[in-house]
Amino acid sequence: MKNDFLPGSPLTINWAFTNKCNFKCSHCYSRNDPSDELSFEALSKCIEHVADAGVLSINFGGGEPLLRKDLTDLSEYASSLGLRVSMNSNGYLLDMEKAVELKRRGFSKVGISIDSHVAGIHDDFRGISGSHERAVRALSFLNDAGIETSISTVICRINHKDIDALTGFALQNRVRQLNFHNFKCSGLGYSNKDTLDLSSEEWGEFYRRALEVRDKTKGLEISLDDPIIALLGTSNKSSMVKGSICGKLSLNIKTNGDITPCGFIPIVIGNITRDNLKEIWKTSPVLEKMRHKKATGKCTECGRFDDCLGGCTARAIALTGDMNNPDPHCWYQK
Amino acid sequence: MKIFRNPDVMWREEDEYKEQAYKGLEQGEDVEDIGTSVLYSGGEMLSLNVLGTEIWKRCDGKTIDEIASELVAIFDVESEALKNDTAGFVNELKGKGYLYEE
Repeated sequence: MKNDFLPGSPLTINWAFTNKCNFKCSHCYSRNDPSDELSFEALSKCIEHVADAGVLSINFGGGEPLLRKDLTDLSEYASSLGLRVSMNSNGYLLDMEKAVELKRRGFSKVGISIDSHVAGIHDDFRGISGSHERAVRALSFLNDAGIETSISTVICRINHKDIDALTGFALQNRVRQLNFHNFKCSGLGYSNKDTLDLSSEEWGEFYRRALEVRDKTKGLEISLDDPIIALLGTSNKSSMVKGSICGKLSLNIKTNGDITPCGFIPIVIGNITRDNLKEIWKTSPVLEKMRHKKATGKCTECGRFDDCLGGCTARAIALTGDMNNPDPHCWYQK
Repeated sequence: MKIFRNPDVMWREEDEYKEQAYKGLEQGEDVEDIGTSVLYSGGEMLSLNVLGTEIWKRCDGKTIDEIASELVAIFDVESEALKNDTAGFVNELKGKGYLYEE
């Protein structure tokens, strides 16, 4: 197959149903988002629209999805339309009863955010005392309920040297996947970037080590969702998708229905309550530009541009204002 | 051995590309590079051409011989060649964890 294959609609959608949250995370991208929430009726219509467009899966995010009272009504409806349903949660509100309900009402996978194997470090980062303990218990409830689990860890100053410990922690807690998310400079992540983000050299060192651990670890999938790892001669994704998957396989929908290429790119390309998803997917000039990024600056001299396509588009926009600029995390030197 | 799709793998046919591929087939064109379905698992996408898609759709407990014999009705290719293509496809996707045998 050719590498420029574009599916007729997104395969997956990250969907914020609420911006409400019971946590105070230092890197939150949605805390200051004033967007309204859609009603159950409006969301149900949007979910139908998405399913009709052929989308395969939706991942509920936010905000903390469990704060939405009709969450499992929505998941059950989405699941009944053939969508694979998952979510990212901080786990604080999960007990065994809720875990069983999630399983019964359509959730196939739940990711729990845990940023350190050390409880105190996680609690400080997330702003809530006792949150680590609750997150670990949530994983146990979900596993016992038969839901596939993952841990989502935002890599930053507090944990970038703890790859082995985080991996051991994930294995100990029986998760299927450990997702090392690269730090995005969006929302509070932008405000706090000077204290939380790593230097490009530190990112390079982190990925070298993380790839070593990934390759030797059995019984756990370690995911590194950062296109700049192509610089190390490897990639986490199928060779069919170069660079970031945002706008090529996935889209993001905000609480008010606004569609953006990803949760960290604040460029609205339509609204799911009024626009046709497949049309936006095919005709959006923003997506077109993201799919055909041009090498600029040091990218013009790097032999890996065809694989990484300049790295994370969200970071380039947040820190330079131009998606074609090199990812500021990239450690390549001319 | 019976061949099954891994239920963790999400997939769909791509209607527009499928129409394009079947039109091309009717006109005797090479449609090998047209992706008529996508498989999606763990953040990775695979695209299958028309032959791969038709094999994939039949991986629901059939043997390689059974799949190949059904494909004879669709593709103007000798049955032995289809059997080899089917076996090759199944082996490749078994290696990726997208298919399994029982």
